[in-house]
Amino acid sequence: MTTQTDRPPRDAGRRQFLVDTLRSACGVGLFGLGLGLFSGRASSLPAMRLRPPGALPEGEFEAACIRCGLCVRDCPYDILHLADVADQDLATGTPYFIARTDPCQMCEDIPCIQHCPTPALDRGLDDINESRMGLAVLVDQETCIAYLGLRCEVCFNICPIRGEAITLEYRHNPRSGKHALFLPIVHSDACTGCGLCEHACILDEAAIKVFPLKLAKGELGKHYRLGWKEKAKHGGALVTPDVEHHYNLPKGVEYDLQGKGLIIEDQAGKAKGGVPETPFSSNPLDTLNNSSLGRP
Amino acid sequence: MEICSLVVNARPERVAEVVSGLEALPGVEVHGGQAEGKLIVTVEDAPEVAAADTVHKVQDIEGVINAVLIYHYGEGDSEEEGNRESYST
Amino acid sequence: MKVTRREFVKTQAAVAAATVAGVTLPASKTALAADDEWEKGIRWDKAACRYCGTGCSVLVGVRDGRVVASQGDPDAPVNKGLNCIKGYFLPKILYGKDRLTQPLLRKKDGKYAKDGKFEPVSWDEAFDVMADQWKQALKKKGPTAVGMFGSGQWTLWEGYAASKFIKGGLRSNNLDPNARHCMASAVGAFMRGFGADEPMGCYDDLEMADTFVLWGSNMAEMHPILWSRLTDTRLTKPGCEVHVLSTYKHRCFELADNGMVFVPQTDLAILNYIANYIIQHKAYNKEFIEKHVNFTKTPTDIGYGLRPEDPREKKAKNRAKGKLTKISFEEYAKSVEPYTLDYVAKLSGVSKHKLERLAKAYADPKRKVSSYWTMGFNQHTRGVWVNGLLYNVHLLMGKISEPGNSPFSLTGQPSACGTAREVGTFAHRLPSDLVVKKKAHRDYAEKVWKLPEGTINPKPGFHAVLMMRKLHDGVMNCYWQMCNNNLQAAANLNNESYPGFRRPENFITVSDPYPTVSAQAADLILPTAMWIEKEGAYGNAERRTQFWREQVKGPGESRSDLWQILEFAKRFKVEEVWPADLLAKKPEYQGKTLYDILFENGQVNRFPFEGKIMDERGNAYDNHESAHFGYYVQKGLFEEYRLFNAAPEAPKKGHDLAPFDMYHKARGLRWPVVDGKETLWRYREGYDPYVKVKNPQVAAGDVYFYGKKDGRANIITAPYEPPAESPDHEFDLWLCTGRVLEHWHSGSMTRRVPELFRAVPYAPVFMNRKDARKRRLRNGSLAKIQSRRGEIICRVETRGRNRPPEGLVFIPWFDAGRLVNKLTLDATDPLSKETDYKKCAVRITKA
Repeated sequence: MTTQTDRPPRDAGRRQFLVDTLRSACGVGLFGLGLGLFSGRASSLPAMRLRPPGALPEGEFEAACIRCGLCVRDCPYDILHLADVADQDLATGTPYFIARTDPCQMCEDIPCIQHCPTPALDRGLDDINESRMGLAVLVDQETCIAYLGLRCEVCFNICPIRGEAITLEYRHNPRSGKHALFLPIVHSDACTGCGLCEHACILDEAAIKVFPLKLAKGELGKHYRLGWKEKAKHGGALVTPDVEHHYNLPKGVEYDLQGKGLIIEDQAGKAKGGVPETPFSSNPLDTLNNSSLGRP
Repeated sequence: MEICSLVVNARPERVAEVVSGLEALPGVEVHGGQAEGKLIVTVEDAPEVAAADTVHKVQDIEGVINAVLIYHYGEGDSEEEGNRESYST
Repeated sequence: MKVTRREFVKTQAAVAAATVAGVTLPASKTALAADDEWEKGIRWDKAACRYCGTGCSVLVGVRDGRVVASQGDPDAPVNKGLNCIKGYFLPKILYGKDRLTQPLLRKKDGKYAKDGKFEPVSWDEAFDVMADQWKQALKKKGPTAVGMFGSGQWTLWEGYAASKFIKGGLRSNNLDPNARHCMASAVGAFMRGFGADEPMGCYDDLEMADTFVLWGSNMAEMHPILWSRLTDTRLTKPGCEVHVLSTYKHRCFELADNGMVFVPQTDLAILNYIANYIIQHKAYNKEFIEKHVNFTKTPTDIGYGLRPEDPREKKAKNRAKGKLTKISFEEYAKSVEPYTLDYVAKLSGVSKHKLERLAKAYADPKRKVSSYWTMGFNQHTRGVWVNGLLYNVHLLMGKISEPGNSPFSLTGQPSACGTAREVGTFAHRLPSDLVVKKKAHRDYAEKVWKLPEGTINPKPGFHAVLMMRKLHDGVMNCYWQMCNNNLQAAANLNNESYPGFRRPENFITVSDPYPTVSAQAADLILPTAMWIEKEGAYGNAERRTQFWREQVKGPGESRSDLWQILEFAKRFKVEEVWPADLLAKKPEYQGKTLYDILFENGQVNRFPFEGKIMDERGNAYDNHESAHFGYYVQKGLFEEYRLFNAAPEAPKKGHDLAPFDMYHKARGLRWPVVDGKETLWRYREGYDPYVKVKNPQVAAGDVYFYGKKDGRANIITAPYEPPAESPDHEFDLWLCTGRVLEHWHSGSMTRRVPELFRAVPYAPVFMNRKDARKRRLRNGSLAKIQSRRGEIICRVETRGRNRPPEGLVFIPWFDAGRLVNKLTLDATDPLSKETDYKKCAVRITKA
């Protein structure tokens, strides 16, 4: 459990009080989460603090930043704060923002880094979409209402890297039997960690949260490659390409090894599942004896 | 309505003293944890006193090592709110 | 033990802390106990969702007179326990911080004054002043000087009571619903094509079809749960295809196999091309059209429903004409012949390949095709035409009135079908498809309502847009707006609606739960008990009627619209509104009020009220109207209304509703309900019992369009005609308006839900990045949007959910802070009188 030395009382605002106390509660708080009983008001529970766009990796950033506050001054949306003495887990005077309360609005001209006098914020960053302030993670599929089949998708709709950082995966809803699930999936190759999704999440406690990169990312074993990606990169098979296969098949049946597998044509000669070239059968008799005429 | 819960760590030898100190504060209730020296405390807003201010006072009680906020609930009040039936013009 | 909310939260808080600290609390302190106790104290009951025409059912949990919980109704066939994001937050719409709880009247020196400030008044004073204004106007100018603007969000009985009060009591037909802005074109096409309103199919088509085509419908956002069903079919049914047509890319394009962005208004040409393709390839269903279809044409060059002095109206040869002329199949074929692939591809901007793929989908006799449309078709200066052109395609192929083959008009509002249309709250309609113009229909309504012959005015009243113009011109002076926000919704706010509201001699009453834009411009505001603060009934897009009971009390002195209408009717002595010769036909009515005549007529007041409404589980519910008037008002109104649809002598058949009590048990029933059985697909023998009733000769499984005398539907040819206003040198962009998933209509409810507000706080202008760059704008910049009628300022959104092509911008209308209807043009479909909110010209500069 986090311990904290006694501090002289001060007349703090409500928000400050919450921030202070909560930070120290953080360690135990996460423990409580596992039991599913840690529920509180979202607005008063800041998740992680995030650095402005273009920030050097943590450690290096703290060394480079001279705590001048120019980035805070230049942020047109006033989302940036400087850590104060009380913020013990953050170097005093360094800038941060909290996604749940004030996410980065992803200005195209990135004003916060323009006047940074040090390399702490990379002025070479000219495309805000390339920034990596953190990574959004859908931390709780049990409460995300999209996973429950409700039509929400607020995070997907608000994501500024539309269709890349968060995509929707459609899935059948086996419970209702006739609805689809629209599942938000975050992609680290496009997510900037701006936090607009966490800010907009409509739950009392956000189910999607932005974490600093080092907390959010897993890492694949260095030895392992993804076969399909390597093949695409290489422009073909890395080894000798497969031979052409032939099969013993009854009439009207085809076999597509890499695609659809077994294809059985129906009586009209139309491949099941495929889109016909024209609406008509190649056999005129099929059209003439049109089954749709006089049908109920 | 504003309600918080805290874990208050008290010096083991002064638990009883801390409990009475806590209960003297408006809106404060001790639910248990005396044996462990980890007091489970809820703080709610009382008339004229915001829960936030009370929590700060908790930290000033003699014998308190620290107080950790665990839960905070704050919302437009359900009971009180529906009663506004006239406008002051 | 009774646990208050406060105690419950406190226990929860203590347990959370104890868990974290690893401390065990006494059992009496655990949240589980409190949780259990708390949950047990919740009374659950069903209700229809307050928002769109999908008609999801929700379960509402009430404890200590407050809605404390909600859930999607797992037994509701439409949504199976699901909700959209708006439905998830339904209880919160009741508890916005600025609910109106008292009538408010503009006053100066203790008296009503048009330029006064709003002051709280009693209901008595409110209705005294209002009745006085209405009587003055009636005396001066007759019944057309007053009017009411109702809603597709009214409950069935509210619409029915309003219709009775305005048409049967005040003898004015100036009653129109906001459904005029939403469904009127669909209605027009149903009546012209089939002689009966509302779709032949139902939502089960969403599982039955092989091909889905969306025409001017962003179903992904506007009918979220239906879209979820359509998506599921696309995912799980081999070969299923989705075609999407719109004037800009929206969320539906994410699923589209064939997404088409077309130049505004060219949907007319695309549909004619499909018909032409079907004919050229002889793919049409010859037997079907020979047996079931008449070919007709409609007059062309009909104007744009603008004011008559507008040059565009003066130029029109056949202004507002719509009488059909019979033609032959060959003449019809010739009329669509000019719509070749080359011509239409060029006109519409859609590639030939895509158009052909679409045409093939319709022309393939083996594929079941369901087409869906909403405001893209209906809010269209040729809305009735374009609805009809789609029916043409379905009728040519015989792909109609059977599972999976459905042209389906999706409704926007929860009861546009149930209340606005079925109940007949339009300026020309009476209940159950009857119209004021027909003597036989008026006679029947007068008989049911026990009114003397000649009470109902044969002349249709002012429609929604005309009301605004008549208010503006001072022809109509009293206007009562209920259950909608028309000042925000009506087009051309600066020049038509706002000046009309504020014209000194006009008296505007707005009934609403919240201080809306309309309320701000009103003279009298009446606080409304909304949604489940009253007993209600809605009818959704698939003809499903759903009921709910009063769950909680409205705040303060708020009262339901039903209570307000009945109570206001008490203010009129019949002598004040009926001429002596009319009253002489029913001398027993002398000295009575309109309330006595219309509602205490032995029919409406025939069901006693025992002080509580009980359900089957023994739960008791309040019913504030019944408690006030002394009888079960809703039941009485509904059962009287059933005389229009379920009585053997009713003039229009096929609308039968089940008895009142059935609906409190069922999760909605799809009409016609005959002998307790619902109807899924209309006009097909076997599915629809009325086919055999109307024509015993019909073969098993065959169709019979019994809304028309000869049982045949109309194929109605109509050409492409340009829109009322197109971009030009000065105003170089198309403006299209609409909704977003998170907000309902004008946002008066959803913007009061903090989470929904946070999700989409303000209306941006969605525009193409290239268009933005050209104007030195980028994402997030403030832009000034101007039309010939007004200007607003919005932030630019170039990367959002809607991706317009170059030359078109989209602005949602939910945002009271950015009233997009300052920009729009009040051009309407001359036939349906529905405004085209999808097309006008604007320019954009840096703000």
